[in-house]
Amino acid sequence: MRLHATILQLKAMTAQQSGSRRRLLAWLPGVIGVAIVLYTFIGGGYLVSVVSFGLIYALFVTGLNLFMGYTGQVSFGQNAFAAISGYMSAVLTTTYGWGVAPALACGIAATLVVALVVGYPALRLKGHYLAMATLAIGLIAYEVAVQWQSVTQGYMGISGIPPLGVFGYEITSDRGNLAFLALVAGLGVGAAALIRHSRLGRAMTAVAGSEDAARALGIDVARYKLLAFLIAAAYAGLAGSLFVHVVGFVSPEVYGLHMVNLAFTMLYVGGIGTIAGPLVGAIIIILLPETFRSFRDYQDMAYGAVLILLLIYAPRGLASLSDLWSGRARG
Amino acid sequence: MTGLLLVNSLCKRFGGLVAVDSVSFEVIAGRVTAVIGPNGAGKTTLFNLISGTIPPTSGQILFAGQNITGHAPEKVAAQGLVRTFQLVQLFQNLSVEENVKVGCHLHTRGGVLAALFRPRWAREEERAVEANARELLEFVGLADVAEASAATLPYGQQRLLEIARALAARPKLLLLDEPAAGLNREETQQLSSVIRRISERGTTVLLIEHDMTLVMNTADAIVVLDFGCKIAEGAPEDIRTNPAVIEAYLGGVEGISSVTGDNRKVVADE
Amino acid sequence: MNEISYIIQVLVSGLGLGCIYGLIGIGYCVIYNASGIVNFAQGAFVMLGGMITQLLLWNHGVPLLLSGAIAVACVVAIAIVIERIVVRPLWDRNASTFVMILATLAVQIVLEGATLLIAGDQPKTLPVFTDLPPLRIGTVAISYQLIWIAAASAVIIFGLAAFFGHTRVGKAMRACAINREAAALQGIRVSTMLMMAFALSAALGAIAGILVTPTQVTAFNVGLPFAIAGFIAAIVGGFGRPFGAFLGGLALGVTQAGAVVVFGSGFKSGAALAVLLIFLFVRPQGILGTAK
Ligand SMILES: Nc1ncnc2c1ncn2[C@@H]1O[C@H](COP(=O)(O)OP(=O)(O)OP(=O)(O)O)[C@@H](O)[C@H]1O
Ligand SMILES: [Mg+2]
Repeated sequence: MRLHATILQLKAMTAQQSGSRRRLLAWLPGVIGVAIVLYTFIGGGYLVSVVSFGLIYALFVTGLNLFMGYTGQVSFGQNAFAAISGYMSAVLTTTYGWGVAPALACGIAATLVVALVVGYPALRLKGHYLAMATLAIGLIAYEVAVQWQSVTQGYMGISGIPPLGVFGYEITSDRGNLAFLALVAGLGVGAAALIRHSRLGRAMTAVAGSEDAARALGIDVARYKLLAFLIAAAYAGLAGSLFVHVVGFVSPEVYGLHMVNLAFTMLYVGGIGTIAGPLVGAIIIILLPETFRSFRDYQDMAYGAVLILLLIYAPRGLASLSDLWSGRARG
Repeated sequence: MTGLLLVNSLCKRFGGLVAVDSVSFEVIAGRVTAVIGPNGAGKTTLFNLISGTIPPTSGQILFAGQNITGHAPEKVAAQGLVRTFQLVQLFQNLSVEENVKVGCHLHTRGGVLAALFRPRWAREEERAVEANARELLEFVGLADVAEASAATLPYGQQRLLEIARALAARPKLLLLDEPAAGLNREETQQLSSVIRRISERGTTVLLIEHDMTLVMNTADAIVVLDFGCKIAEGAPEDIRTNPAVIEAYLGGVEGISSVTGDNRKVVADE
Repeated sequence: MNEISYIIQVLVSGLGLGCIYGLIGIGYCVIYNASGIVNFAQGAFVMLGGMITQLLLWNHGVPLLLSGAIAVACVVAIAIVIERIVVRPLWDRNASTFVMILATLAVQIVLEGATLLIAGDQPKTLPVFTDLPPLRIGTVAISYQLIWIAAASAVIIFGLAAFFGHTRVGKAMRACAINREAAALQGIRVSTMLMMAFALSAALGAIAGILVTPTQVTAFNVGLPFAIAGFIAAIVGGFGRPFGAFLGGLALGVTQAGAVVVFGSGFKSGAALAVLLIFLFVRPQGILGTAK
């Protein structure tokens, strides 16, 4: 009996120790991410715009992670929300001459409204039904972007979208964009961290852990799913709008299915359910084609293949590195 | 002596099977009441009905004077009726302490804005939640492993954690579904003491259990189910000698004290 | 009068396409019943069926029938490889539904990418199987390809009915559909069933792809719309009911044809997606109710 108690105690102690080492390691990917951004900022060159896209994707994936990693739900249609906000920004600034900031705010607001309207019925679904419903939402957004030519100009797309800026001041340099996007992405990731360690974040994670247990403790599961969906949509909308202002152009292809593929690969590389994972995954994956030039032609295919390999062999992505370190693995 | 929970002619059918067959009973505030019965007697189904996990076919459930029949589980929990599960349902992706913090959900507020801007009240609330969680982990004896991931706990501790988490919701009535299942003897004794102390804290307990030692050690009243029907109800001493109960447990060859209706756990009652 | 014959004409062509959707829908059900997996790479089988046939016929001069047969065999082989190297490891690990869906969707994307590399992005087509002017029944014209599609579908349906009703493997698959654990206890190798289901499902998809290609073009990216259409067919018919899925396919084909008449051809995929969402939101169990 004594022995038993001692073993329990020992177990608890080692768990605590490896816990703190793990937490240190959990920071490592984040530090690497920040280092890459800093390096490109100082080094300059064409990598600046590449990393900028990486940061935009980091926002998109952070939202996805809140909905999927924390809350344990599924959405293949987040690209729809990026598209709604992106097109809204593009149309309001080019056709109606709005400023960038109000257009962006309006875009995100529209995204939230749509997310609420489709999320309410969609989130009652589970498993493959939910997966297909959200996939359909993404595809419908694409169809609308193609067909509603009077507003979106169809496949042609909209060009001449003004760059980011407020009160007459515009960010015109690539470095300026990078700095601004790094700030926004930092805030985005920070917000996700704050959410994760709050009542809201715990309730979301509880929904992922066991819906029955969450409800038995008084958590309105449907409400928190919807809330997580809305937050994810807001992130997607923000990313979608930032994208059009940084690139100056939008077309349906920008928000096609490849965006979903790319985002999932990033999420799984960085580690689903972790805080810094989306940022790190986004930057690594965006830099891949730059490292292997020939890679460009097979991008989608390669991302798909990487995703499959991760799902099979390393479902926790870079986050499983810390498990390797502490000598244990979990499925 | 007031009935905190009143179950009135409750029925549940699954197709042709009547899992709960017009069961009526009462749980008196401040007591520990046990529901016993052989495997498949309908005990868990009864809990599912009471806690709102599934709707009843007919019948009524009154809790603290309110009709809660068919209410959603989160509504029932908000009224002060909280349950645990026969198969432990922890939030595996959270730490031990965070699991208990989730239990505090009902007594805290704060959504997106509080999470992002952390106003003073939210910080204070969070500190209170933290203290509450620590205190409850202390109470069930898990303070040492507060930081560990819930998934890494040995089974016995997982059971205790689930109870601590339920207590964090400050239930008026706590429903425990086979809390001793899978526990060894020592752990079961520890659990008995936890249940008694919960009762001393003023929380009414309704528990399902096969382990007769635990039942006899903790329960003030017992309800016996067999094939969905209530076959007996009363004080532990009366149940022990009740012929109908002995009959239900394997034709009364050895009596309830040694035959507990399943082969998972046969514990002699000393 | 003219109007009515036009509508009939549209309905008939809708039914033709509906048969194709139905076959794809059956493909979903076959895998779902054997394993509970929803294979989001189903569209790739359809695309590959048409593309491989086209490649053999055009580039290597293999006769159509033989090309088709080789294509079906190739697609079946690809499906078995996918089952072995992607689905099986996840299945063994008891991966969540969602991980399985994501993995199969990624397979779809990889297969599309590979096809793009090998065959390029130009749309291709196949010659009609019987090059005769359409049959005329009154004012309604029925192309021979449509007859091929209908006839092949009928043969397949009867073949499947016989397969599920009278062969050992077919009965075992049905047993898995009803209760996988019980089937395993009876000595049915559930994992073998999974492989068979992928093979059968791929064959159905490939045949559908070959049948439909002469009526429209094929390209590396036609898979997804077909996958969605097949999924809708399966949902409308009540997920997991093969013959319900076929009827669902017919219903979708007709609805889509109707939508094109009323709203214009740009709304073909829009209409399908709308049907999908309506069913998911309002009646996810389909018209006939799900199998389980
Ligand atoms: N959701 C359900 N659908 C169909 N039948 C069910 C369902 N839930 C329970 N049953 C059936 O109802 C009966 C009672 O089951 P229940 O789980 O309530 O028994 P129990 O008394 O808790 O047994 P145990 O001691 O084994 O936990 C059983 O025959 C069971 O198979
Ligand atoms: Mg039970």
